[in-house]
This record gives sequence, C-alpha cells and structure tokens, in this order.
Amino acid sequence: MIPGKYRSVSGRAANNVNCGLHLVIQTSSLPEKSKVEFKLNKETPSFSGRLLQHDLERNYSSRQGDHIHLASSSMPSFPILQRSSEEKILYSDRLTLERQKLTVCPIIDGEEHLRLLNFQHNFITRIQNISNLQRLIFLDLYDNQIEEISGLSTLRSLRVLLLGKNRIKRISNLENLKSLDVLDLHGNQITKIENVSHLCDLRVLNLARNLLSHVDNLNGLDSLTELNLRHNQITFVRDVDNLPCLQRLFLSFNNISTFESVCCLADSSSLSDITFDGNPIAQESWYKHTILQNMMQLRQLDMKRVTEEERRIASVVAKKEEEKKRESHKQSLLKEKKRLTINNVARKWDLQQNRIPNIAPNQDRKVSDSPQDPSQLHGSTVSAFPEETGSLDSGLSNTLQGLSVTDTHLVEVDGDTLSLYGSGALESLDRNWSVQTAGMVTTVSFTFIEFDEIVQVLPKLKIKFPNSLHLKFKETNLVMLQQFNALAQLRRVDQLTIDPQGNPVVNFTLWKYYVLFRLSHFSMQKINGTEVTQNDMIMAERLFGILAHVASSELPQYRLISILGDVRKKQFRYLLETKGKKPGLVNEENSDSKRLVGENTNRATLNYTTRDFYNERLEEIKEKKKFCKMYMEDLVKEATEINMKNEALQKLWPQMFIELVRDAVIEIRNKNSYMKLCLQQITDQK
Amino acid sequence: MLSPERLALPDYEYLAQRHVLTYMEDAVCQLLENKEDISQYGVARFFTEYFNSVCQGTHILFREFSFIQATPHNRASFLRAFWKCFRTVGKNGDLLTMREYHCLLQLLCPDFPLELTQKAARIVLMDDAMDCLMSFSDFLFAFQIQFYYSEFLESVAAIYQDLLAGKNPNTVIVPTSSSGQHRQRPPLGEASLLEGVEASLFSQCLENLCDRHKYSCPPPALVKEVLSNVQRLTFYGFLVALSKHHGINQALGALPDKGDLMHDPAMDEELERLLAQIPGLVNSATANPEAGCLPSRTPPRVGSPWRPLHHARKVEAESDGSTEETDESET
Repeated sequence: MIPGKYRSVSGRAANNVNCGLHLVIQTSSLPEKSKVEFKLNKETPSFSGRLLQHDLERNYSSRQGDHIHLASSSMPSFPILQRSSEEKILYSDRLTLERQKLTVCPIIDGEEHLRLLNFQHNFITRIQNISNLQRLIFLDLYDNQIEEISGLSTLRSLRVLLLGKNRIKRISNLENLKSLDVLDLHGNQITKIENVSHLCDLRVLNLARNLLSHVDNLNGLDSLTELNLRHNQITFVRDVDNLPCLQRLFLSFNNISTFESVCCLADSSSLSDITFDGNPIAQESWYKHTILQNMMQLRQLDMKRVTEEERRIASVVAKKEEEKKRESHKQSLLKEKKRLTINNVARKWDLQQNRIPNIAPNQDRKVSDSPQDPSQLHGSTVSAFPEETGSLDSGLSNTLQGLSVTDTHLVEVDGDTLSLYGSGALESLDRNWSVQTAGMVTTVSFTFIEFDEIVQVLPKLKIKFPNSLHLKFKETNLVMLQQFNALAQLRRVDQLTIDPQGNPVVNFTLWKYYVLFRLSHFSMQKINGTEVTQNDMIMAERLFGILAHVASSELPQYRLISILGDVRKKQFRYLLETKGKKPGLVNEENSDSKRLVGENTNRATLNYTTRDFYNERLEEIKEKKKFCKMYMEDLVKEATEINMKNEALQKLWPQMFIELVRDAVIEIRNKNSYMKLCLQQITDQK
Repeated sequence: MLSPERLALPDYEYLAQRHVLTYMEDAVCQLLENKEDISQYGVARFFTEYFNSVCQGTHILFREFSFIQATPHNRASFLRAFWKCFRTVGKNGDLLTMREYHCLLQLLCPDFPLELTQKAARIVLMDDAMDCLMSFSDFLFAFQIQFYYSEFLESVAAIYQDLLAGKNPNTVIVPTSSSGQHRQRPPLGEASLLEGVEASLFSQCLENLCDRHKYSCPPPALVKEVLSNVQRLTFYGFLVALSKHHGINQALGALPDKGDLMHDPAMDEELERLLAQIPGLVNSATANPEAGCLPSRTPPRVGSPWRPLHHARKVEAESDGSTEETDESET
C-alpha cells in the first residue's frame, strides 16, 4: 500500500489518480459493489493500487486470469501479461498486479502508455521487463524481495519510485531518473547514502528503517523537502545545510547523543520540523533548550509545536549557561594564575631558605602580564597581582638574582580569609580596604613570609582588620618560642594555626604551652585545630608561671620601665609610619598602653625583638658603651690617682707630722724670742 | 673586708679581679640609655637599684649575651635565673631536645649563642646523637660547667688533643723541620688502642693550666679528685665527671645540689598563687601549700643576696608540708 504519509494536505478524495506534480492520494472506502466482488485480501487497500484494483475487481472475477491473461511467453518463466482491450481503453495508464504471487516481473505487452504500475506485495526479486514502459511515472514495488535497484534506466519520466520493504543493500542505478520526485527506500538494508546527487527534483526521500550510521553526501538534492531517517543507527548528521529546501527532517530512534553531531542543522534556514525522539540526546537535561536555541527557525520539535514561551525559556537558559561557562573559564584562568604565582613565591622562598641550589630560571615561568585593577572588590574573590616591570616571555637567561620583578607575591581575600603569600604581600596591608571587606575578614593566613617581617606589620593588621581572630602561619620560619611574644600586641586571637611545614618551632614539646602562657590574656580557644582545655591552661601556667613572676617582680624598676617603654615606643613608631599624626592616635596609644599595663603585667616584659632590630640596638649601644668605658677609665684614673696620693700621703704623713711638731717645738723653745716673733708677724700683717 | 691582701694589689688589678669596672661601666651605660625614665626618680635611686640587682643576681635578665658572659658572677646569676625560671619544666618531667633548651635560654637572653648550648648538649650526650632528648637536671649541670668555665674548657680541650696526639704540652718545643707535623692528630687506629688519655698526666697539665691562667677554673683540688679516681679518661668523660661532681657545684654556688634541684618552696608558693588567679580553675588535686610552713613572702627585692642554698634543706625540715609539695609535682 502506499502509506498514508503521502497524503496531500487537502486530502481530497478523488477517484482519479493524478500522477502529476501533486500526488493526490487518498484511502477512501470502496464503493459498495466492488466490495462484494472483492476476492482479494482486504488489507488496507493502497490508493492507486486501489483504483487499479477497483478496476481489476470489476474486470476480474474470482477466476484468475480472466481479464489478465498471464500467458506463457516464449521466454521461459516470464509470464506475459495481457489485458482485455476494454480495460486497456478504460485504464490505459494504470496497472495493478498486487499480491499476484509474482516472483518475477511479467512482460507487459502493448501497454506503452502505462503511467502507473503497482507490484506491491509480491515476491519479485529483480526489476525486469519494464524497460519498454517509457511513460511510466509511478512505480510501486513495495514489499517484494528485490535485492538490487536495476532495470530502471529507461524510465526517464519516473516520478515516484516506491521500493520500501525489500532487501536492497545499495542505492544505485538511479542515474537516469532525473525527474524523480519521491523515492521511498524504507525498510531495506542500505548502509550509505550515495548516488543521489543528481536527483535535483527529489522532494521526498525516505530511508527509514535501514542501516545508516551517518548522514552525508546530501549535496545536489536541491528540491528535497522531507527527509525521513527514522529507525536507523545514525550518530552524526552532515551536509544538511546543503539542502536549500529541506523542511522536515525525521531523526527519531537513532543514536544521536550530542548536539555537535548534528550541528549542521543550525545552519539550515529552511528546516521547520524536526524529530529527535528515541535518541539519547532527547534524554539530556539540556536537550530542548539547546535545540531551540540553536535552531531558531524551528516550528515543530518532535511533532509538537514550539511555543514562544519555550523559545524564550530556551534562550534564557542558553544565556545563563553561556555566562556560567564564561564565569568558570574566568575562574579557572584566575586559579591557574594563582597557582603559578604561589609556585613562584614558593620557589623564591626555598631559595631564600637555601633549600635549593641557585639555578637558572626555568621556562615554565610563563607568568603573563596581568594589569588587573587591585581595588576591584566583589563579594567573593579578589586577587591582586602587581604590575610587572618587565615581560618574562622573551627568554630570560640571567640567573635568578638578576631577575626582574615578577609575580612575587599574592594577596587574596576570599570571604572571611585574607591570604598573603610572599613578603611583598605585606605591603598590601597599606591599601585602602573597604570597611565592609575588612570587617568580614576573620582569618589571616601568612605563607612564605619570614615571621620577623610579619611582626613588623602586626600593628597595621590590628588596625586594618580588627576582626581577625584566627591567624595561620605556614612556611614562616618560626624557630624560637620567643617569637610568640610578638603576638601579644594584637587585640585578640581566638585561634592559632602553625603549620609544621616550614615552622620548626612546632617540633618542640612545650610550644603550645608557651603560647597559652604568653597569650593567656587572649583566652585562646583552639591551637592547630585542637580545643584548648582548662588543663592545658593550668599546665601552661604551671610550666612558665615562675618565668612570668621573675620577669616582673624580680626586675629592677628601671629595667621594667625601660623594657615596657621600648615596647610602647616601637608600637608608636609603627602607628606613626602608617598614618600621620591624627588626634585619635593619642587616645589609641593611651588605651593600648593601659591595656598593656592592665592585662598580665607580669608577662609584658617578655618581648620579641626581631633579629635585625636587636642587632641594630646593640650597634647603637656600642657607641654609648665606648663612651662609658672612656668615662669610667677617666674616673678610675682619677680615683686611682687620688688613691695613690692618699696612700702616699698616708705613708708620708707620720713623717710630716713629726717634722711639723718638731718645727713647732723648736720654734717655741725660746719663749721670749717666740713672743717677739709673733708680735712682729702681727704688725707685718697690716 | 679590709684585709691586707686586698690592699696589697695594685689598683687596676684589684678592680679587675672584682670586675668592679664592668659593673660601673654597665651602670653608667644603662643610665645613659634610659635617661628620660630614670631622671624621673633620681640617679641615686637608680644606682641603688642597680647594685642591688647585681647582688641579687637579677641584673642579667633579658640582657645581651656579651654582658652575661662578662663576669663569673654574671654567669652564675644567669645559671641561677635559668634554674629558677625553668625548674618547673624539669619538675614536669619533660625531656627536651637541645634546640628546645636553647629556646628556653633565649627567652632569658635573646642572643644566646647556639654553640654553647650545643657544647653543653655534647657533654650530656657524650658527643653522640645530638638529637637525643635530655633531662633537665642533666642538661643544667652540664650547661653550668660549659658556660661558667668555657674558657677553661677550651684550654682543656686543646690540652687533651695534644695529649691524644702524644705530645706533652709541658715540654718545650724546639722548632725543627719536623715540628709542623706535631699538631697533626694521629689516625684513630693508632691512638685508640687505649681510649682517652692517662689521668695522671692529664691532671698534671691541668694543674699547670690552673696556675697559669687568671680566668676562673674549678678548684684544683677538686679537679685532682676527679682525676684521681680513674686510670684513663676521655675528654667528655672528664666533663661529665666535672658536671656531676657535687663539690664543684657547691664551689660555684649557683645551683642547688642535684637532689634539691626541683625544690624551691618560695617559687612554688608564687606559682600556686598565680594558678589560683586563673579564672575558673578547679582546685582539684593541688593541695593548698601549707601556709604555716614557710613565710609567705615574695623574695625580698632589696637586701640580701640570694639565699644560701645549702641551708635550704634545714628550712624545709622544719616544715611539715614539704613532702606533700614534692607530691604536687606529679601532675
């Protein structure tokens, strides 16, 4: 039967078979009288076949071969078909040989005007003996056993060729059928589309239920309007954009799983109707809107009209996805940059720590220029890269010492964490942080920075990030317990995390207790992730309590004052360096010093001066010491001289005394002369 | 005080022997540094405080290493301060590495050199496995010897090397063409037939050393005593013996005897007071220090030099709470 698919839009019921351009086909019920006479199988009657059948029935009574006389021909096994002349006149252009149990095509004599030939439902294996029917327009060989398309080379007027449900393996031998309008090859074993490029008038091509695995080679089918590829094994589709008139494309029940495999469909402006049901792609969550977004011209998808609403949703979703992709791309770029920077910083740090030998820079230092504006503060992530002073990509060959400034540090604010990598990052504390951002930061993490350098910026940290409660240190060269003294100047620390990597102090048995002891005024809650218990506090106090006592009450007063004064002076200096003298400053300083005095005075003298400062101080003192030494030497000299003189005097004095006495006695020996002498002296004195 | 021998010395020598100048210089230096602060309450008061602290031994707290090393009294004070502050660590029973002890030292003296601590550790560990853990008392006594007698020990080391090399430092060297080789240490195989050096020879050299040099050295009689007990000894064996010798410890006068090392009732009392101040502290197992046993007074800031150590025992014997205090340490 001719499938109802070929029904025209108007669906006119017509008795005439119009084998011209518009195939007006219908399945109408048979008129009554013919029904009675029907002897043949009453399956859904085909159309044109129907009409012919109708004729046949009329002419054809139960007796076979009444009017169709299949006489044996001269050629063995080829029956010869003859019709009565009345029939020939009545239905000169159509002939139906449906269900005739034909195994071969009979020779059809004297029917050169035949335009419609129906061989449905037979067992024909080869198309033969029809070369003389050169006016044939409609040839129906549906449901036979044909294995190869052949024998059609003379049928130049053929417009409709129905070869469905056969055993055809290849499309071939259609070269002369240039007027072909409808080609139906469904239900065969075709694996490849080929040899159809010349069919420029072909409007309908049906290759459903074949063995196609892909679609291409579709060029040349300039009139193709409908392409049916249902129930194949197609995984990708190409060349569809070369079909200028294609409106309907049926790809149901194939093996398409991505849109990329059918992406050429997006370029086809004529497509208005497409089906993908039964493909893996139709199960995807993004299926509908991806199709709709990429094929704006579609009117029907999977046999359902595409509404405006759907289209709108599709475009919105597509936009969102686009943005998401962009965003994630940006994120991954950022991450990569971050990773590179951190690697750089780590390497520099290792060099500083003399862990790796000084080697020439390697090529993977492809840090690109990144002039991002550092003050861009979003809600979530902010990274700042300093502008570089020189391009790196042009083969640096000098050693690392002579390297131009690169991404040497990284500053990152991620919600509540401020991460600093590399010593250059400490400068970023000077930047103008927005109050909101700064207020949100509760954790500050230092990596690859010398602790001594961190100590110097702690006052700044206190001011700029007042809510920072958790400090993390990794690779910061914490080697002495004393260094923890420096943390005492902060306002408050709840948690402390000292990563063992790069911080040898963690290897000490007592480090946690010392921290708890020195920073007892913070009432810390966690150290390296473990809660601080009351027992820990007690132990800390027990271990170091005497140290505190000694440090406070056993120091002479002047030492106490001088040490505390030093501390205050240092902090004051830092504060001065950051802001100019502001009126509020004095108050702050006072309250700080008050706090110093108020909380735990007995520990306040335990301070940490960075090595550099300490040496600086010692240098300064050297001058004083020299002076003191000289001064003391002078004093000592004086003292020893005096002592010598004193001792000499002591030695000489007895002698001198005796002489003095002797002189006096000798003088007074003669009283009278002495009296005279005295009087003389007195008068002389005037 | 006014003994004739004292007056017999010429001026500079007298001053130098007592290191008076060192302290005077330091006092003036401190005065200069802290002019503004000290001027508030007067120079006389300052000098009083200064020399009081020298007497008490607190003048070395948080001072630079060069000052601490300057006089024997300073060194002894430093040792005592170290003992006082970190006795609790020892009491707690923790065994620490050399580096950690060094950290503790640095808490009191920021620029204390690592070499000294290393040398002290070598004594304890017999120059072996420097990463080993050491107990507080071992380390402290070894450190005492190393720090207090550092110059002496250097010379001893040199002598020891010479003796090992088979060369007697008492002999006069006549420079010959082959004299340059004498300094070479013989390969171990030859010298190690018998470990170390002969004690008597060693002892003789050390005597000469003590006589010759001015810097402090252990009382020669005690040194002789140490050396008389053995036939042969190694350098570190000798040092270990020195560090463990009670007599030398007492002669130094800085640290209490080994048995009393963990006892310091006054400080313990202070500690209890501090512990009581911790907010929310539950006084579970800590027995209240018997207030009656000792005068509950902070150590006097003015006046007496540090309490004589050897009498500490007597004081404790009077109280009845001492044993319980010892038990406290087992927390």
